[in-house]
Amino acid sequence: MGGETKGKLFCFLLRVTLPDVSYELSWIQRPPRTSAVFANTIFQKPTFLFHVPLVVLKSVQAKMFRRKLLALDYAQPDNFNVNNAAELGPLVVWLEDQKIRHMKIEDRAALRDTAGPEWSSAFQRYLTELNCPYADGKKEVVVDWLLGYAVRLEYGDDAETFKSVTRATVDQAKRPGAPSSNPLDNLDFESAELKAGVTSLSMLLQVPPHPDHLEQLKAISLLISNTLSKEALQNASTSGDPTKDSEHIPLNKTELGFEAGDYILNDAAKIVRLLHLKELRDLQSKINVAIVAVQAVTADPKTDSRLGKVGR
Amino acid sequence: MRSYNEEMKYLEKMTPYCWKINKGFVDNMKVDGYFYVNERLEKLMFDELKQSCNSKGFGGFLPGMKQIANVAALPGIVSKSIGLPDVHSGYGFAIGNLAAFDMSDPKAVVSPGGVGFDINCGVRLLRTNLCEQDVLPVKEQLAQCLFDHIPVGVGSKGIIPMHAQNLEEALEMGMDWSLREGYAWAEDKEHCEEYGRMLQADPSRVSSRAKKRGLPQLGTLGAGNHYAEIQVVDEIFDEYAAKKMGIEFPGQVCVMIHCGSRGLGHQVATDALVAMEKAMKRDKIDVNDRQLACAHINSTEGQDYLKSMASAANYAWVNRSSMTFLARQAFAKMFKSTPDDLDMHVIYDVSHNIAKVEEHFVDGRQKTLLVHRKGSTRAFPPHHPLIPVDYQLTGQPVLIGGTMGTCSYVLTGTEHGMTETFGTTCHGAGRALSRAKSRRNLDYTTVLASLEEKGISIRVASPKLVMEEAPESYKNVTDVVDTCHAAGISKKCVKLRPVAVIKG
Repeated sequence: MGGETKGKLFCFLLRVTLPDVSYELSWIQRPPRTSAVFANTIFQKPTFLFHVPLVVLKSVQAKMFRRKLLALDYAQPDNFNVNNAAELGPLVVWLEDQKIRHMKIEDRAALRDTAGPEWSSAFQRYLTELNCPYADGKKEVVVDWLLGYAVRLEYGDDAETFKSVTRATVDQAKRPGAPSSNPLDNLDFESAELKAGVTSLSMLLQVPPHPDHLEQLKAISLLISNTLSKEALQNASTSGDPTKDSEHIPLNKTELGFEAGDYILNDAAKIVRLLHLKELRDLQSKINVAIVAVQAVTADPKTDSRLGKVGR
Repeated sequence: MRSYNEEMKYLEKMTPYCWKINKGFVDNMKVDGYFYVNERLEKLMFDELKQSCNSKGFGGFLPGMKQIANVAALPGIVSKSIGLPDVHSGYGFAIGNLAAFDMSDPKAVVSPGGVGFDINCGVRLLRTNLCEQDVLPVKEQLAQCLFDHIPVGVGSKGIIPMHAQNLEEALEMGMDWSLREGYAWAEDKEHCEEYGRMLQADPSRVSSRAKKRGLPQLGTLGAGNHYAEIQVVDEIFDEYAAKKMGIEFPGQVCVMIHCGSRGLGHQVATDALVAMEKAMKRDKIDVNDRQLACAHINSTEGQDYLKSMASAANYAWVNRSSMTFLARQAFAKMFKSTPDDLDMHVIYDVSHNIAKVEEHFVDGRQKTLLVHRKGSTRAFPPHHPLIPVDYQLTGQPVLIGGTMGTCSYVLTGTEHGMTETFGTTCHGAGRALSRAKSRRNLDYTTVLASLEEKGISIRVASPKLVMEEAPESYKNVTDVVDTCHAAGISKKCVKLRPVAVIKG
């Protein structure tokens, strides 16, 4: 790995992982597809599956875009107006960044400048590069082709999964009361039996009562996953030194840093703070893991004692 | 020229530990000055003023109090100019002076004198899981081993291979460079002020002369008051906070590294002072002392300085990280173990010569300020968003390096300090005698002999300069720390004493 790429990768990771650096990334640009060349050669001409005759397209244009946009998980699939430059530009950029990924990230600059005067020529160049057969055609056609192309690439990425999707499976997933193979889905959450079970569980685990038994169930689940799960037990046994107990400090000895009004609110605020700290600590640990993972690639510390010179 | 008694009319004792310098003490004061002292430090401060009055201002330095007041006369200063207990005369600003400037005021200034020549000079503390008994039998060898790994002294050169391109990257990335190259641990970064990297750094603003000076010096301690010390925990004042830092018992061995940005930082400051003198004429900025050269924050000169200062700060963090790496290697070699098994984690890393953009409440309103800390350390209170998650409940650790052969302290930041002193406290002992005076009055052999008497091993590159750094040349660090504690601007946590010192 070259020094430059190494550096960029590292800066990039640090920027996206660090809490103190607030970079505004509306989305992360994804690098070019390795399969882009493949996609280009195989699907040079639009295939019949996704190609829509022009007449049909005109009548159902809005709906047409909506379906493909939905299929691609675009954030605003409804009412896309192809003739509005303020909507078209971002869509093209999004398609390239997330789905088509034809160019290298650094080469996308011209295309990203959607408000600039050079944009339409950059867009034309882009279409030529993608071998769009309608490059100088109407915008509707071009956008439809572009969306279709993106759908094809997405499909090609995971063809095996999509193959098994049929109308029947989609319908079943949509239907709310469909019989599921998961027994938990078929539970009656309001049955007296369940309520009694939750109560006895919480007695057993000493979870304080809550009027809503489902909330209480959530609390029980948190408690179990935090302290009684396999991982938690393992962690406790590895770091289980006897001094650990003394690290517990009573709530009244911690400082809140502000005054909430009365002592119950104060204590509640302290608890929220402590929970927040726990989350922050988890985040920081994940950051450290990420840094260590990058270091495995980049780190190569050297010393050369011959260079050393003690001064006067 | 006023007499001493006339000067005294402008001074007012606010609390047993705080004095106020009223407007009028020097010309053009925009805000009042404040300084923190106890009885003994107070005497030193007032003697200094008396001496200056008697000599009618001829010869010698401006007294610290006058310098604090001159800073209070700078354009755009907010609220007050503050002297910490270790304050003593420096270039323009006193060392141990703190001043904040309003970023939204177009007239507000940035001054290289308010940062100092050794940009991002600071202290880093590593812990180990060794105890005093493990180290005492081998402390001579250990001191020698450290001395072999970390080159010291004027003109020393580091043992980490660097070329120009590496330096450019290091200036931009700070500790992230050390991480990338594998000289630092991932956990080091979270326990470092500013996470070891100032994002506004721009290496292109650093002159090639500065880079040339900095390149061979990376990973060296330098001379002056810089040192690396092997210390043991002497006393724990705040058990919970100490535990959070991984300090568990008296006698635990720690390593303290005190150094800065070497020749690079010095050159950056010098370059900026030259550029700013011209800018002051152009923008018609008037100051009381020629040494207080400054420029409007948003002027080209001001921005250039801030970017190059940030680069120099990054250099200093790389420097301290490199020395941490070398110290870890030295310990691993000595104890035939790994740094991991020796639990050699960074407790914290503070900067005590730096200017930073921070958010503070002034008269109940939130303001963005450029806080100059020269010879003063940031000390943020518990729950401040800019301190590491591990110290959210205790407050930021503040590392106070003592002088050669005396003790050092770890303090923690307090809410009171946040409101009183923009979250700032002292940085060390603070000079009491000038370097020249120390050289005249003290003899290096007696200084070394007294260290030996205390059982402290020492390795020093230029023994004839050690009297400059002798404890007698400094204020008593315990007085300084006790004053900060009593005034409530920081809280005592741990006291450390040295068993071996290496220095320039």
